[in-house]
Amino acid sequence: MNFPMSMSDISLWLAVMAIILLITSELISSATEYSRNIVIEKNRLRLVALALGIGFMATVVMRIFQPF
Amino acid sequence: MCPEKKQQAAKEADDKSSELTTTQYLIETIKQLQADNENLKLELKKTKGIPSGKIGIAFIIPGALALIFSILNNSTILSFIGLGLVLWGALFFFIKPVRYVQSSLLDSTAISTYTTIDRIVKDLKFKGKSYYIPPYPKEVYLPEYLKGLKETVVFISADTGGMPSIEELAKSKFLLENPNGICVAPPGLGLLTRFEKEARRDITKLQLDELCESLEPIIVENLQLAKEMEMKVMDKQVYVRIFDSIYKSLYTAEENLKSIHSLGCPLVSAIACTLAKATGKMITIQRDSVSPDGQTIEVWFQFVEG
Repeated sequence: MNFPMSMSDISLWLAVMAIILLITSELISSATEYSRNIVIEKNRLRLVALALGIGFMATVVMRIFQPF
Repeated sequence: MCPEKKQQAAKEADDKSSELTTTQYLIETIKQLQADNENLKLELKKTKGIPSGKIGIAFIIPGALALIFSILNNSTILSFIGLGLVLWGALFFFIKPVRYVQSSLLDSTAISTYTTIDRIVKDLKFKGKSYYIPPYPKEVYLPEYLKGLKETVVFISADTGGMPSIEELAKSKFLLENPNGICVAPPGLGLLTRFEKEARRDITKLQLDELCESLEPIIVENLQLAKEMEMKVMDKQVYVRIFDSIYKSLYTAEENLKSIHSLGCPLVSAIACTLAKATGKMITIQRDSVSPDGQTIEVWFQFVEG
């Protein structure tokens, strides 16, 4: 019973999620006229997107020093 | 005057008065319809809105199940699905608004302040203007007995002449004797602090033009206190036009508040405090006007030398 995802799978997943969230947060924070009615914590969304992006970068750095 | 002319004049006067009554009736009907519209919008939102917490749970539970099955069946696809669902579920919890209140509640809480000031002014029979007095900059050292000068206050004068001395202001008194008047905390003092936080700069170091440029996005975009705003600097005057302010109903309140025109609503008051603090000059609200539909508020601020 092992976790079925390898490091490269997690890296890919992180990349896709980070891109989706980064684009969403950028669209929401830049188009103020349309995002006026979206009552969410936009700063937190950006924070999560950046965290996932940094997570992906960390896997890339790991791949450089220790190829998987 | 012949009777025919008299009759004609009477008829014209009747026509005018009936026209005025019709216009007033129409304005009142428009206002009522707008209020009904707002209430219906709120009701629609209430019925439509699903709390993001429930959506979060709906994502997390299947996500966790998918993850467990992925480990049991050694399935990569299931683990991808599980991770995705868990992330989005957690995201719905994490980004949900802390707590939002209806903007109409802001008016309800602000009305009591203005009613109190109205009663004080009426009781003391004050007829003068209100002056926003700038505070001393934070970094300037002041001895303990002058600490009162670091507070932004509004001086409501008994008549039109005279400004309080530094000694009087330093005492942080409510009732001032020379000249006669009262010193109160401006209704927009709390908003001023928010403006300073959002600006991320020391507003005392900004030029008036720069201040006007940076205030507009803070009010409209960051804090969403109004839908549109325009600020123009004129000679010894600043003109501000605010469209769809969240405090707009204070100007058309049934209580017919008088102090709202001399002190301004919390938003106008905060702008006056910011202008006073940035320029280091006293500010007074020269005049204000509200459009018949109550949507647009125009305010003319004037700098007072002294």
